[in-house]
Amino acid sequence: MSRSWLLCGMKPLQGSTHFSLGNQKVEKRMGCQQSLQSSEVLKVRTIYINDPLKNTFCTNSISTTKYSKWSFLPRYLYLQFSKAANAFFLFITILQQIPGVSPIGQYTTLLPLLVILAISGIKEVVEDYKRYMADKVVNSKTTSVFRQNSWHVIKWHEVNVGDIVKTLNEEFLPADMILISSSEPQSMCYVATANLDGETNLKIRQASLEVAGIIKEGQLVNLDGKIECEEPDRQFNNFVGTLYLRGKSPISVGPDQMLLRGTQLKNTQWIIGVVIYTGFETKLMQNSVKSPLKRSQVEKVTNMQILILLLLLFVISAVSCVGATIWNKMYLENIWYMGISGITPHNHVFDILVFIILYHNLVPISLLLTLETVKFIQAQFINWDEDMHYEQNDLYAMARTSNLNEELGQVKYLFSDKTGTLTCNTMAFKKCTIAGIIYGNHSDNTDDGNENLSRASFCEFNDPKLLENFEDGHPSSEYIKEFLTLLCVCHTVIPERCGNDILYQASSPDEAALVKGAKKLGFVFTTRTPYSVTIEVMTETHTFEILNILEFSSNRKRMSIIVRTPAGHLRLYCKGADTVIYERLSKDSLFVEDTLKHLEIFATEGLRTLCIAYTDLTETEYQDWLQEYKKASAVSQNRIQRLEECYEIIEKEFLLLGATAIEDRLQANVPETISTLLKANIKIWVLTGDKQETAVNIAFSCKLISSTTPRIYLNADSFEAAQQTINHNCGDLGNLLGKENDLALIIDGETLKYALRFEIQKKFLDLALSCRAVLCCRLSPLQKAEIVDLVKKHEEAITLAVGDGANDVGMIRMAHVGVGISGNEGMQATNNSDYSIAQFRYLEKLLLVHGTWNYFRVTKCILYSFYKNVVLYIIGLWFSFVNGFSGQIIFEHWCISLYNVIFTSLPPLTLGIFEKCCSQKSLLEYPQLYTVFQTGEMFNTKVFWIQCINALIHSFILFWFPTKMLEHDMILRHGYTTDYLFLGNFIYSYVVVTVCLKAGLETTSWNRFSHVAIWGSIISWILFFSVYSFFWPIFSVAPEMTGQINMVLSCPHFWMGFLLVPTTCLIQNFFWKLIKNTYKRGLLEEIQELESRKDSILEHSEIFEKRMTAASLAVSFSTQPCEIFFRDDSVDLSAPHGYAFSQTEGAVVTQEELVRAYDTAKMENSRISKRSSDFSEIF
Amino acid sequence: PGGTTKTRRPDNTAFKQQRLPAWQPFLTAGTVLPTFFIIGLIFIPIGIGIFVTSNNIREIEIDYTGIEPSSPCNKCLSPVETPCICTINFTLEKSFEGNVFMYYGLSNFYQNHRRYVKSRDDSQLNGDRSALLNPSKECEPYRRNEDKPIAPCGAIANSMFNDTLELFLVANESDPTLMLIPLKRRGIAWWTDKNVKFRNPPGTESLKERFKDTTHPVNWLKPVYELDPEDEDNNGFINEDFIVWMRTAALPTFRKLYRLIERKNDLHPTLPAGRYYLNITYNYPVHSFDGRKRMILSTVSWMGGKNPFLGIAYITIGSISFLLGVVLLVINHKYRNSSNTADITI
Repeated sequence: MSRSWLLCGMKPLQGSTHFSLGNQKVEKRMGCQQSLQSSEVLKVRTIYINDPLKNTFCTNSISTTKYSKWSFLPRYLYLQFSKAANAFFLFITILQQIPGVSPIGQYTTLLPLLVILAISGIKEVVEDYKRYMADKVVNSKTTSVFRQNSWHVIKWHEVNVGDIVKTLNEEFLPADMILISSSEPQSMCYVATANLDGETNLKIRQASLEVAGIIKEGQLVNLDGKIECEEPDRQFNNFVGTLYLRGKSPISVGPDQMLLRGTQLKNTQWIIGVVIYTGFETKLMQNSVKSPLKRSQVEKVTNMQILILLLLLFVISAVSCVGATIWNKMYLENIWYMGISGITPHNHVFDILVFIILYHNLVPISLLLTLETVKFIQAQFINWDEDMHYEQNDLYAMARTSNLNEELGQVKYLFSDKTGTLTCNTMAFKKCTIAGIIYGNHSDNTDDGNENLSRASFCEFNDPKLLENFEDGHPSSEYIKEFLTLLCVCHTVIPERCGNDILYQASSPDEAALVKGAKKLGFVFTTRTPYSVTIEVMTETHTFEILNILEFSSNRKRMSIIVRTPAGHLRLYCKGADTVIYERLSKDSLFVEDTLKHLEIFATEGLRTLCIAYTDLTETEYQDWLQEYKKASAVSQNRIQRLEECYEIIEKEFLLLGATAIEDRLQANVPETISTLLKANIKIWVLTGDKQETAVNIAFSCKLISSTTPRIYLNADSFEAAQQTINHNCGDLGNLLGKENDLALIIDGETLKYALRFEIQKKFLDLALSCRAVLCCRLSPLQKAEIVDLVKKHEEAITLAVGDGANDVGMIRMAHVGVGISGNEGMQATNNSDYSIAQFRYLEKLLLVHGTWNYFRVTKCILYSFYKNVVLYIIGLWFSFVNGFSGQIIFEHWCISLYNVIFTSLPPLTLGIFEKCCSQKSLLEYPQLYTVFQTGEMFNTKVFWIQCINALIHSFILFWFPTKMLEHDMILRHGYTTDYLFLGNFIYSYVVVTVCLKAGLETTSWNRFSHVAIWGSIISWILFFSVYSFFWPIFSVAPEMTGQINMVLSCPHFWMGFLLVPTTCLIQNFFWKLIKNTYKRGLLEEIQELESRKDSILEHSEIFEKRMTAASLAVSFSTQPCEIFFRDDSVDLSAPHGYAFSQTEGAVVTQEELVRAYDTAKMENSRISKRSSDFSEIF
Repeated sequence: PGGTTKTRRPDNTAFKQQRLPAWQPFLTAGTVLPTFFIIGLIFIPIGIGIFVTSNNIREIEIDYTGIEPSSPCNKCLSPVETPCICTINFTLEKSFEGNVFMYYGLSNFYQNHRRYVKSRDDSQLNGDRSALLNPSKECEPYRRNEDKPIAPCGAIANSMFNDTLELFLVANESDPTLMLIPLKRRGIAWWTDKNVKFRNPPGTESLKERFKDTTHPVNWLKPVYELDPEDEDNNGFINEDFIVWMRTAALPTFRKLYRLIERKNDLHPTLPAGRYYLNITYNYPVHSFDGRKRMILSTVSWMGGKNPFLGIAYITIGSISFLLGVVLLVINHKYRNSSNTADITI
């Protein structure tokens, strides 16, 4: 057992087994040289720095292809024949080779089977080639590596373990590395890990100072040594290793020195690292398991029906076999003309094989191919769709699998990631309230249409009133100055001068937004030295001495900074959550009420709010406190707690200045899309790794919950507490449990761990399903997958997960349908998804239009394929009744096997490709239509068997009518008599006509292809019949067909039957369709009718609206405010709080250390030289 | 970037964007109600026409199996008497006009049995010389006899119908002279069968020469080239009786065309009303498998022989359609009255 198994196995969570299974698969697939030389027990990997010959590990190239050149044929055949249907036809083909068994020739099944295998083989090759090309793009990205004493630019796949790699700002890391040096002070660097864990804030990594020192002193050439570390595993935050440099004492390295593949370097000019894990052994790839084969619900139902049909086939064969036995007993001995006496009679096994071959086509051989083709083209339609084309990045939607097209039409639960999916992951300082006056409120209304996007990126805070008030000596002018000063001073941002412009680097996007916002308003933060910050206000520079930083933590929900102002006063600036600030306001504080009101407005809009307050300190007060503080800092145990207690002492008597509102920008049209999807009766759950406050804010801003929605917070720190809260809430809901209520459930990852325990998970799910919106925060990737799994297991509904980062991969794979948001640099989510789209809003079209259409098409196509096969092949059974169950067929062999290949191959295709239940416009305008398909009433076992019984009736009519017509054999003008095939050709022609017309009856949208398919199929049969009748004796096939065409077409009975028989079959279908369309209509029929009378829409729209609302009421959620009396204190009925703030916590480098580390005034020159000389100093 | 966008952008065709013009018919009772009546109005007259036509066809069927002890052919059931000749008399109530067709009919004879159907060699019948001497395995057990290939091989050929039927008109009740009705042996097989599908082995020699080294089917009394003693060109594989037999029937009860009775040029009916004798040379055994043998005389109309089924079917379907129309009309009327919404109005 390698370490990774152990880790996985240790996890008590359910999903872990699933993942570890996947992991095994990956390991097996890698086939790279694991370092097996290391002993079984220790599992230590030794890496020799910059000595590629000694390191024999896996290469850094990745491959996600299914086949290789050599494995293609065996693997492909294996996959194909592991499909039940294909295996069945292979079995039939083999049976047909036994001499004398097959009543329909030897190769009549082999040929269609070969055609089908060839076509899907081509499709596989094309798809795999695409994957290969995508891998190639990744593998051939370039990076710099230090080899032979100089830097070489090489491709990613050439990177080896032990290489020294240099990565520049904004670049992605090519492999897992140990950081040994960086451009920043104290060898720090920032990495964006959103791709891996979905967190918005940047992570700080720091090289061991000993190592950094060595490198600064010497040169890379002299870097000689080895790293001992554990074998690769899948834990992002787990790493233990030791660095042995020649002549130095061992240095231990941990996760803080580790840079992972898939993360992006930010705010750091360059870093240098030693590669430790490559390719499939990187943590990122370890976490990627081969996508499980997803089958759609429709496919599962179909497979089930195929199995039942197979069973039925055996039953029919057995019945026929019994019939044959009885018939043989009764007649065979006395029948002299058959010449049986000379031959031993066949045994039952032989007989039953004959009948199985005779009836085997009940299972449509072409169905799989037809479906593959149909789905492939449906997928192309998704790929081609201009409405899902994101023009800014020139990204089209992409269907990465075509198996699940119809599943898109039945989604009931949507699990969405937040960061990067709902939001753009950019923060903007949008509004503020200062001294009871709200600013920045007007800008929203002007946003519209296409301008929205381009404007929004600039449109931050722009309310000229603020500056006017400030400059014109408005009474609040002093407050404004103080407010903006605070924004400039109280933070941990590092300024970086870039030409004339100043860039800010921050691990907290909120702070960056605030500082940028202040800069726009003329308060420019310019320089940070270890003990001061300098700001520029209206060309004046003010330098604040920074005395103390009272750090942010999510418990404290605030951060403060103690400064000595330029005037020499001591002042404490604080920003934080409204709740914590309001507790600490002094009695003299003004604007308390107004600000609170404004905060509520901000919160309802989903803005992230921070309250801004300050307090002046006296010299003695500060000195006293400083003593305390020093004591606390010196404590070795519980230092953080002691420090926080100490902060508490001085953070009091605040004077409120106002509040800021930061917009975590949503992607375009997210609220509209969400409201449409809600109307379509899709339940939306937000699963995020981010903080609870952030998630709630986003839920507000995307209108998932409104300010009146009661919020149930499940935050418990023990199993008992979680159980109690859940039980209480379930109890309070009473009868409403299980129904949809206007409630929001908010749960964090910790509590979820308890809630997912077997004992209460059902209760929890019940509670969650009773809420209109569910927000799950602080989730690990695994938990996301677990939630999806929970819903998937307990609810008979289709789930869809949408996300953009590597942390969403689990749920994307777990859900029935996984959708990846592409465009953000990381491709993890996209690569593991079934569909990728560029923007969340495209889900609307993907689900409502493509999903609905595809579902409608696929189900029709399947039902029709079964119908047509049952119609033709059950005729063999009817004929058996009159031919002594001998297995004789009434048609010519090749006509039978070409039935699915030529004569009726097109109608299912056009049904599957072009059929439309109604137009795109209607589908988008009336999302309620989606519910028609969601329920799966279009396709289930019942519908399937109704269709089969219908086919049975048709085949009965199709056999017995012509048989009766020809009963007396004298049907030709010249008195000629006929043979069995003459009757067969009658029946066959009628079958083709009936089946094609039935397709016509099923078609609701006739385009030119439908016409070609339906009329063309009939004509193709007649043409084939004509030509085929002249084959013998030129080609040695079908002697019995000779002359049939002349006789059949010149027979008046044929034409009489041509009119009669199909009419007889279809008149009942026609009648039922009318009844359905007229009297038993649902929403779909209403809209279809509306569309068919385009000219009269105006008069009808009013009636229509009325009916629509009536219909939609039935399906949409109740919007009345909730009348439930909640007793549990977990329920928050109050107005929303908008507080949210992201900041790195508990990192290697504390916020204080970080701030103290930079001296941008000094750094200015050295940095420029660093950049220009391209690292020369460290050689 | 403009260039790259263009190459990546799929052409924005109606097909790709799924905006092909389409006709979306929506069938409601209101719009297509007349269809049912139209179908009814078309089908019922057609049905009546066909029914009347079929009823006007003259047809007589004589069972000569001889099961009943009173039947003249009863004696032929015992295998002792060979050859057995029996005579059945019958009366035509009405005269048969135009061409009259004479059929033999067999019942309970499974010509459509799989083993029977495949027991032939079409290459041999097409005159292929190698197949003539080496017939297909499908013909077993009638492939070879006494080390000689059978021509024609197989069970179908072996069981060829070999009764001889002759028809005599009792010209005058008082005067028992019998008038032999001339029966035409040729023109009873499909043209393609006679000219394309069945061919004698090629050669200029006599048929007997061409069939040398083969033997006749086990149950036959004479070889294939002597089937028609009267007409040299009607022998071998292209013997029309043989060809007709070789088209295996679809049902266990079937008829095969036996002879033609051509209409006379004068005004006399082809078969005037009166008494007839059917003279049977009874060779073909059907008793063992409970079969029946019949002789049928029939005239034909433009659509063949007598068969009331099609007419009745047309009338029935037409009526059902009409009835469905009425049902829809009633429902439609009721529905419109009871429903508040007026969305059925056209």
